[in-house]
Amino acid sequence: MTDRSRLSRRDLIKLSACGAFGSSMSRWLPSLANEVSKSPDRRRSVILLWMTGGPPQTDTFDMKPGHENGGQFKPIDTSVPGIQICEHLPQVAKLMQHCAPIRSMSTKEGDHTRATYLLRTGNLPQGPIDYPTLGSLFSKELGQENSDLPNFVAVAPYTQFSPAAYGPGFLGPKFAPLVVGDANRVVSNTPGMNYDQSLAVKNLSLPQGINVERADARLSLLGDLESDFSSQRPGLNSESHRSAYAAAVRMMRSEAVKAFNLDDEDVKLRDAYGRNQFGQACLLARRLVERGVPFVEVSLNGVGNNQTFAWDTHAQNFTSVKSLLGVLDPAWATLMTDLKDRGLLDSTMIVWMGEFGRTPKINPQIGRDHFPNAWSSVLCGGGIKGGQVVGKTSEDGMKVDDRPVSVQDLFATMCKGLGLDAMKQNVSNVGRPIRLADPTAKPITEIVG
Amino acid sequence: MAQTARSHVFGTKGSRFDVLFPTTRSLSWVCLISLTLIFGGDVMGDEVQNLADLIDRRIEARWKSDRVTPAPRAGDAEFLRRVSLHVAGSIPPVADARQFLRDESLDQRRRLVDQLLESPHYITNFSNFWTRVMMPESATDLQGQAQRPGFQAWLRQHLGNNTHYDAMVRELLTISLTGDRSMNAALQNTGTVSPIAFFTTKQIKPENLAAATSRMFLGIRIECAQCHNHPYDSWKQEQFWGYAAFFAGIERKTPNEDAIGEVREVFDRRELTIPDHETVVQATYLDGTQPQWRTRISSRNTLADWMTAKQNPYFAKAVVNRLWGHFFGVGIVDPIDDFGGTNKPSHPELLDELAADFVAHDFDLKYLIRGITASQTYQRTSRKTHESQNEPQQFARMAVQGLTGEQLFDSIAVAVGHLESFQQQQPFQFNQNGARGEFLELFAPDNSPTERQTSILQALALMNGQFTSTATNLDQSSTLTAVVEFPWMKTPDRINALYLAALTRKPRPEELERLTKYVDSGGSSKNQKQALADVFWALLNSSEFLFNH
Repeated sequence: MTDRSRLSRRDLIKLSACGAFGSSMSRWLPSLANEVSKSPDRRRSVILLWMTGGPPQTDTFDMKPGHENGGQFKPIDTSVPGIQICEHLPQVAKLMQHCAPIRSMSTKEGDHTRATYLLRTGNLPQGPIDYPTLGSLFSKELGQENSDLPNFVAVAPYTQFSPAAYGPGFLGPKFAPLVVGDANRVVSNTPGMNYDQSLAVKNLSLPQGINVERADARLSLLGDLESDFSSQRPGLNSESHRSAYAAAVRMMRSEAVKAFNLDDEDVKLRDAYGRNQFGQACLLARRLVERGVPFVEVSLNGVGNNQTFAWDTHAQNFTSVKSLLGVLDPAWATLMTDLKDRGLLDSTMIVWMGEFGRTPKINPQIGRDHFPNAWSSVLCGGGIKGGQVVGKTSEDGMKVDDRPVSVQDLFATMCKGLGLDAMKQNVSNVGRPIRLADPTAKPITEIVG
Repeated sequence: MAQTARSHVFGTKGSRFDVLFPTTRSLSWVCLISLTLIFGGDVMGDEVQNLADLIDRRIEARWKSDRVTPAPRAGDAEFLRRVSLHVAGSIPPVADARQFLRDESLDQRRRLVDQLLESPHYITNFSNFWTRVMMPESATDLQGQAQRPGFQAWLRQHLGNNTHYDAMVRELLTISLTGDRSMNAALQNTGTVSPIAFFTTKQIKPENLAAATSRMFLGIRIECAQCHNHPYDSWKQEQFWGYAAFFAGIERKTPNEDAIGEVREVFDRRELTIPDHETVVQATYLDGTQPQWRTRISSRNTLADWMTAKQNPYFAKAVVNRLWGHFFGVGIVDPIDDFGGTNKPSHPELLDELAADFVAHDFDLKYLIRGITASQTYQRTSRKTHESQNEPQQFARMAVQGLTGEQLFDSIAVAVGHLESFQQQQPFQFNQNGARGEFLELFAPDNSPTERQTSILQALALMNGQFTSTATNLDQSSTLTAVVEFPWMKTPDRINALYLAALTRKPRPEELERLTKYVDSGGSSKNQKQALADVFWALLNSSEFLFNH
């Protein structure tokens, strides 16, 4: 028989050992913030800032001043001499010593659906193999079993382009993200708009009219049914059911869910992140990382009503991008300084990217179209030697002149920065082992290690 | 007629005797007479039994040599729930369950399967099944979702007519592709009855179509040979592209790399150049033979002839194994679509015989389903009764299997008496919102039904979500309200009714005693009605409800 087991015998034993229903579900969580960061065995975390729709490199991190493709924005100096970025990222510019913009992304897929899958799983959709999204892939390596909070949290993702690009694929639901907010509800980041619902975990609180005593009684009835069933029909299905319910109940009752109470934060800090969905989601990401969640993703899905899919600026590019950067800049910069203040920036990698870049050439609608040939992403924080630029595009921005970076190169770089062995294998749903990154991938060694 | 049947019963079919007269049932003349009447002249029925016997013979032979002690036959309730989920895609409504459990006739299981196969639920369930097989993209990307309605309509039409499998695949492979195949065109006609989405979701590219058709219809994964010779298997890169060349006549006039536009087809183009190589390969079947070309017949037609031919060594085996996997959770070859050199069948003779029998019955899917479900192997309990039952490919007890999102939603709907209006289901719109859409996304199945994992979000949705909350709310749930409010029922009757609605069985005596005590005491809220709601909540959240077994 081929090796088709995703839960090994050892996993099974571990699952069986996990807590029973109803009892001792709430554990005191003494370790927070500094205490966490000082722990020697603390592993790295990742915050993915996902730019739905594909942000324009020429209006962000790869400016082309003096060229007609350069557009309306001007470059500004940053904290690192010689590196210039867009004038509408003034706060991020001051933190360039932590950031490594990659200006030579080259990915060859210009369709939203397929490119979203490619950048988020490292692979093009390929017949029967269900590749996991990078959050599932990395949190499996970085996370710990039986933690109060899930190892992968996705804040208000917009999954419509490619639902599979947001799921755990062949790793299975155990590694699925805890989705915060309603997926796919595009929440405008316009000031004054209500975003509370988009930062809450669905179904985390007990249904109306059910108090804790009654919930316990129900769980106890369920426990009886489960022990009957699993003793008569032992197997992975009911074991996994039991461990998921136990984890859900543990989370519902843990101190750690207080991570979602943003009201506990200082008002000034909340203002600094930006009083909009994306800004507050970045703050939530910090609170989750602080409590040991190893992978959090936050999407910037739009500002106002002028674009369908955030960065998909086929028309009126500069108006839209300016307002998007107005939300992005304070949120991202505050996230970095806030993490730094808490001693967490060194262990938290921040990844900024979308599914592709946008055409350097400006179209008649003053827009920019899909462009996978030469675009930018940014790595910063933990594990990244910031203050340097990777790669170079031509003067008109149409092609990569130096150090092309493929999606697998990017994945291998993240692995290295996170201290993970890129050659580690997972068994896929077709039985074939798949590595974290392809053996042919070349990590960008100058910015990691 | 009666004469014929009697001679069958008392004639040479000794093994059928065991099937029809299990030791738990007493042999009576009444049974025998009803048996005679039912099987009288039903030639089809006998063939179904022959197929079932064939399965049991091969499976039992292995038990003897491997010293496996099989689990006993499942009771009627267990069988009813299992086969309803497999064939009709949801648990049975209480009324049907009561009727079936009262039915004492010996052929009740066979008649049940016949009824399920003729019900619209069979069509819905298997159109979902075949969509997952043929158009997995419909679950994973926007463009696939958008094209799902038209594709499913095409499937439903064929399943309703019981179009035989070879004819269905032939139509799929040979559908005309000429015309505007852009995404815009597809979005404007999401309800057009056509299998064309099979092609558009594969970008109408020869290499994608080659990989998909060989895996889906032949159980051969040659896609690894696309870029290099297969490391484990015997497939060579030239074989892959030689097979892909059957699709070489399709011309895509694309506005750019990423979009499909106008498509036309050159019928006599039968060769292509391997990308990044100089080599030109001619269309060649996977068994290495070259086709007999005919003028004005497209190479896709020629491929379809070979693919669906009765002599094709892969075609029937692949589908028989796929359906076996659907009913048993594990294939005779497993993973079910990987007939590679290193992946041997657990019961090679059985697979050969099943395929041959399926071909002899002209690829009739319903016949195959009848045969499998009539076997003793399928009708074993899922309870583990002996240590030797751990190996899934011994089929010594029924495997516990995960449900798909559709099966789960529809089963909850049946259990709680939830009716969704036709309009809400939006059969021709892809953007399905509402409770069902949410469920399907949350419970999208992974690939192995016997190793189904539950996610925390799934657990939260089932414990606290809107749907189960409504289902267990005394003011809003049809089933619960009926059970709680019906006068003249005692607590045990009410618990019985809830068990029947959710688990399709009556509670065991110790369960009934335990729960009666709980309900009579009023539970934590000291309210008997609310305590009944608690019981229903627990049932709907239990593994026994959430899995097929």
